[in-house]
Order: sequence, then C-alpha cells, then structure tokens
Amino acid sequence: MLKFIVRRALWTIPVVLLVVFMTFVMMRQIKGNPFQVTERAVPVSIQRNLDRKYHLNKPWYTQYLYYVKGVFTADLGPSLVQRNQGVNDIIKEHFPVSLKLGGLAMLWAVVFGIPLGIIAALKQNSVFDYAVMTVVNSGYAIPNFLIATLLIYFFALKWRAYTPFPTNGWGGPSSWVLPAIALGHAPMTFFARIVRGSMLETLQQDYIRTAKAKGLRWRRVVGLHVLRNSLIPAVTAAAPLLGFLITGSFIVETIFGIPGIGKYFVTSVTGRDYSVTMGITIMLSLIIIVANLVVDILYGYLDPRTRDVRT
Amino acid sequence: MRRRYLWAGLVTVIAITVASSAAAMSNHSQKAQVLRISVGAEPPSLDPGLATDTTSANVLFNLMDPLILLGKAPALKAVPGAASSWSVKGAHVVLNLRHNVRWTNGQPVTAQDYVWSWLRTISPELAADYAYQFDGIKGATAYNGCDPAKADCNALKAKVGIKALGKYKLAITLASPQPWFIQQLSHTSFLPVNKAAVTKWGNKWTEPGHIVTDGPFKLASWKHDASLTLVKNTKWRNASKVKLTRVEMPIIVDGTTAENAFRAGNIDIDDTGVPPVDIPSWKKTKFWKVYKSLGTYYYGFNVKNITNVNQRRAMAMAIDRNQIVTFIAQAGQVPARGFTPNGIAGGPTITKHSSMPATSKLAQAKALMAKVANPKKDIHLYVNNSPGHVKIATAIQAFWKELGLNVTIKVQEWKQYLQFLGPPPNSDVDVYRLGWIYDFPDAYNGLVLWTCDSGNNNTNWCNKKYDGLINKATRTPNNAARFKVYQQAEDILTGPNGDLPVMPIYWYTFTDLVKSNVHGFFVNPTDNKDLTTVSIR
Repeated sequence: MLKFIVRRALWTIPVVLLVVFMTFVMMRQIKGNPFQVTERAVPVSIQRNLDRKYHLNKPWYTQYLYYVKGVFTADLGPSLVQRNQGVNDIIKEHFPVSLKLGGLAMLWAVVFGIPLGIIAALKQNSVFDYAVMTVVNSGYAIPNFLIATLLIYFFALKWRAYTPFPTNGWGGPSSWVLPAIALGHAPMTFFARIVRGSMLETLQQDYIRTAKAKGLRWRRVVGLHVLRNSLIPAVTAAAPLLGFLITGSFIVETIFGIPGIGKYFVTSVTGRDYSVTMGITIMLSLIIIVANLVVDILYGYLDPRTRDVRT
Repeated sequence: MRRRYLWAGLVTVIAITVASSAAAMSNHSQKAQVLRISVGAEPPSLDPGLATDTTSANVLFNLMDPLILLGKAPALKAVPGAASSWSVKGAHVVLNLRHNVRWTNGQPVTAQDYVWSWLRTISPELAADYAYQFDGIKGATAYNGCDPAKADCNALKAKVGIKALGKYKLAITLASPQPWFIQQLSHTSFLPVNKAAVTKWGNKWTEPGHIVTDGPFKLASWKHDASLTLVKNTKWRNASKVKLTRVEMPIIVDGTTAENAFRAGNIDIDDTGVPPVDIPSWKKTKFWKVYKSLGTYYYGFNVKNITNVNQRRAMAMAIDRNQIVTFIAQAGQVPARGFTPNGIAGGPTITKHSSMPATSKLAQAKALMAKVANPKKDIHLYVNNSPGHVKIATAIQAFWKELGLNVTIKVQEWKQYLQFLGPPPNSDVDVYRLGWIYDFPDAYNGLVLWTCDSGNNNTNWCNKKYDGLINKATRTPNNAARFKVYQQAEDILTGPNGDLPVMPIYWYTFTDLVKSNVHGFFVNPTDNKDLTTVSIR
C-alpha cells in the first residue's frame, strides 16, 4: 500500500506540470489585457513598465520557466489585478473559507442524503419512498442559485423575525447554514439516489437471501450485510465530489457574498489575472488528485478484491 | 425605623439604576454613530500610487486628507484641503501645506512626503497604471518612460518638476499652464504615502496594522473580499466635525445580495447598485437617491466604414434618447445633447450648439439619409456583454431599422472587446458602445479623447483643427475663454455642422439606496463620498 501511495504521489508532479503548461498556453490564447480594466486606454510607456514588472515582456518559454520555478518554491507570484496581494495570500485567505463551506455542504449532503436513500430503499414502493424520490428528483433538477434565492427569501427576509440567518456574509455559525444547504442540496439528492439504487441492488443478492434464510435478524442483515456493501459507490463518489464542492461554489459564494476562493476562479479569468488563474488551477488539480488517491485507498479497504491488483 | 432605612435603600438603588441606565442610553446613542455601507467590489489597492478605481478611491478619500477638495457642483471649485492655499503663475504652482496635518503615527505630513510619494508613483519601477495623471508635470513623462535596465533613470528623476521649498511649501513646475491642475490634485493619485510604512512593509503596507494615513478615519480592519472597517481618527485636524465613530463596509458584489441585505436592515446604504429589473420598484420608495455624475454613455462610429457625415447624423437623430433613459436605463440619466456633460463647469455653454435631439427626429433623419449617395446599409454594432448594454443596442437597432438600416448586434466579453476596439478598431466594427467617467472636473478630460493620437479614440477620426483647439485649451487659464474654446471643439464633434465621429446617448448618474436615518450623505459628480459630513439620527 505504501509503495502504491508513493508512486501515486510522484505521479502528481508530471500531472501538475502538464496542468500548468496547458493553463499557461490557454490563458495566453485568450485575448485581452490584464492591465486595462476600464475603457481607459493604457498609455504605451505605462504598458511597457507593467510588462517589465510582471515579466510579460519576456518570451513565453522564459515566463513559463519563471512560473514553474515559482511553483516548486511555493511562490505563485503576484496578482496582476489585486496589486497588493500575492496569489499565495489569496489562496491562504480564501481557500479555508471555501473548504469550510464545502465541508459543511458535504456534511449536510451525507447526514440527510444517505439515511433518506436507506429508508426509501427499505420501504420501496411505499408512500415514503415515492415522496423521497419526488423530492430528490425534482431537487436534483433545481439549480443551486434558485435554492439559494428561495432560502434567502424565506429564511433571511420573510421570516427573519423568527430565524437567525443573515442574508449574506460569512461570520458566525448562523451565517453558514443557508449557504451550506444551498450548496449541499444537489449532492444530498445525489447521495439519496445512489444509496437507494445500490441498496435495492444489494437486497436482491443471494447472500442476503442466505442471511435471511439462516434466520438472522433483519436488523442485523441490513446493518451488517446490506449497508456495508451498498455504501461503496457513495464513498467512491464522495471524495471527488468534495473536491468540486470546495472549488465549484462560485454561484453560492456570490449570492451569499462569501469571501471564498470560488469567486476567483471566475473573476481571475474574466480579469485576465494570469497568475491567479494558474495558482488556483494548480490548487484544484492537487485537490482532485488527492481526492482520487483517497478514493483508491478507500476502495482497497472496502473491497478487498481490488487490493492485490493495485499494490 | 428599620423599614424607613429599607425604603431609603430601595430608592437609592432605583435611582442609581435609572441614572446608570440613562447614562448607558446616552452612551448608546453615541455608539450608534455607525454607518454600514455596502461596497461593490474588493478595493484592488489602497495604495494611492496604485489605485485607479472608484471603489478604492472612496475608501482612500475617507482615510486620507487630500490637498484639494472639490466644492459644490456644478463649478466644483478647488477648496483648501491639506493645502491651506496655493498660487499659480503660468506653469508654476506653489502649494502651502497646513502645519497640523499628521500621519496616524504622529509625524507631521510635510512637502517632502509629497515629493517622495509622487516620484514613487511616477517611477518606472512602481509601474503605476495612473502614472499618467502626472504627465502634466514637467519631466514626469520622460522619467516614467525610462527603462532602468538600459539607462540611469536618476538623472531624469532629478529633472521632474516637483520640489519641496521648506517643510510645508510644495513647488510644482508644469509642462504647460494647465488651468485644471489644482482641481486635478483632488484625484487619489495625488494623495501622499507614508515613506516609513512603505519602506518597512513593502507591498503589504496597505494592510491594517501596517497602513499609515492622515485623514478623518483610520483603517481598523480589512478582511479581503468580505469587509472593511474604518474608525474615526480622533487626532485628525478637523475631528470635532466628524460625527461617525465607525464605518462598516461589507463588500457585496452581487446587486441582489446587496438589495437583500438592505431590506433585512443589515446595511444603511446600498452602494453596490440595484439590478436594473428592480429599479422601478425601488424608485417608488424614499430610499432611492439619484446623484448627478460627470460621465457620458456614447456610441462611436468607425468613420472609415460609415464615411458619410449625413448618414452618421441621420443615425444620431433617429434614436429616441428620452425613451432609452426612461424605459431602459431608468436611473434618472439625462439625454445627452453633446459629449460634455451638462453638470461640468461651463457645460451648458460648451454644448450650446450641440444638436443631439432628446426625442427621435425621424423625418429629418430620413431626409438626411436620402442625401447619402451610397449609404452603408449593413451595420455591425458592437457592445460588451452586459444585459443593460444589449437592451439599449436592441432599441437602437429598432430605431435604425426605420432608416432602412440592417443592424447586427455583436456582443463580446469585456477584455476581448477592449482589445477589438483598438485603436484602430477592427475593420468589422461600424459602431461601438463605450462610456467615459471624468477623472477631474474639466471638460478637457473628456474632449481630449477625440484627438488624433488619443488611445481612447476608437473611431479612426482625426481632425487637426480639433486637435489645435484642445491644445489651445491647455494654454487658456481664463475659464470663460476656455469654455468658448471647448464650445468650438464640441461643435466639431456634435454641432449642427460637426463631424459626428461620436454619438452621445446619455449623461450618467449615480444611484444609491439610503436609509432615512442617514443624514448628510452625498455623492459628488466625480463619485466621491465624503463621510465626514454623515451622521446617523
């Protein structure tokens, strides 16, 4: 297992290099000047000063080498737009916020999604099952900006006399609830569906029939045999999902005015803030790589059959 | 006897409780001098040398003590700020600084501070975007254009016309007499920076705890992308006049989010901006406030494609500016008669002959169109991808259809759009949209856009006579005489016999949602919000 982890960790280096290279090339292909923010033209001599300061006057391969060197010395460079901030500062300040938001959304999704799926499967074709599936299916189709807007309208405005939730901001726990629900809603419905589906499949298995036949109590059959085997797909989906929840929360962050990193994914591209785009892309790719690694390791534990092949 | 003591004791206790709670209440009303105003973006920089935008400017103006303030509109005359007086003799300006302006570290603000700060902003090493604000000063352009890798820039630095004559006297030599220079000093670029703080903290000197300022408020906290908090600087020279003890500025980028926060009572002023769809409902409330602005929303013509002036004039006459501002823009904007906004000093004189009609003059437009031998019938109208601009473009497409023009609206993402417009513009551009917000309150700042070499002239239009007039204005210190020169220039642009490279549509306004308990809040035409006059009742 250790050998496997080390090998996978070493593999991240060429992957990151490739990501850096591709992002670098793509960013330079988009037209637009990072230094022209408004319609005001940037005079030629000032553009020259700016290009010199940010090494943009050098050939692209020199810029690329500068950048790669920076990445390996953990210096992601200065932001071209937020003039007093470096990319390291931006990530250090805003990533923890997104991490917390993503984590809370994940918590919401797991705590509600998995039990809903389990109960729906156990009571298949009951009123409860139909109710859950209706909510889940329609919920999956509703985009999170609509859910966010509805949550704000009802819980932060209409009923604000009875609820503690603010319309926006990222302060104490009361401000975490609505954004976490808005962001966690879609994964919650996802978990409910995936768990219900795999539970139903497991319940049809021969070994469940055997367990029942040998007189095991139903509770024990579900707890020991059904659940353990049904949760594998949910677990494997969870890790990359967490990665996307942490980094893909742009819309929810914007609607709730949350100072997370998700916003920078979008604004750095529209603002042509090359170094910020690159820095966040590297961070995202690292998260996805680590998440996939975790999944592979978990897989080995949950399903012993896969272990030998991989080590 | 015992009972009497008991009563006396009880009365005493009650009296103390009432007195102390009354004290607490009056204390509370003092504490309530807290203003909560939303800010529409994370300020890109609180370094006066690097700030270029109005968000940063609005924080900076309340942290700093500008040399010059602008008086009441429309004249916006220069009034003393950190400079108590000044003298102008041709190209020579001398500013007398107040002796009681102090940095928050206790040191006095001296002429040497300004010399150091301004030379820093001009220096090629800082690479300040707005270094061109100093172009009017002798030697500044040359120093800024110097490449430190190839030449010794110190010689050029020494030649820049900024000198300290003693501790509190600042002398500036201009490249030419510029009548608006004193007013221009009200811009953020001319605020000083504290040398000790900049040297000690480098690029991080604007963080709370590091930053040293000299104005009515101090920066207490700055949570990036979340909020800024300013507290009253009790040692400021005019602190007794400042009512607010604290200003909380949550950074809210999204219009709907800010609107929700305002409705929920979490902010007193929504300065983020209301989404256009909600303007009609806010307009009916007492919270909706409109302030005049110095800015023009316009369409430019690529005169290489639409060559005939009669066609350009017909297009400018056919649109209904009143309908555009009433039904689409909706924020109290004023239909533009000419390019120079009415709200600027001399505005009505300058655009006296300008001929842009407020309502559609379709018959005249058709008559003009009939004169055009070979009109360009297929028009490519370029706008950037914002719903408001696309809506206006759609209306104009309909107006121009009446002239028999087939208009295709082409929408581009902002940065690509700016690059596409050049100058020179891509040859596919026939008409494009842009706006201009004035940096300083003199018509020069807008009219200079249309000179031949201007980086903002995306029309391919070049008129030497026009350039001559703009140049003449820099040498005409007398206001009335200068306004006449501007009038002649404006006539060439938008007058009845003008060239019409540009078709002004409306003059901008600023809007805010303001709670009724906020008093003394005002947005001046250069988008400056001076919070020293604000109080909460």
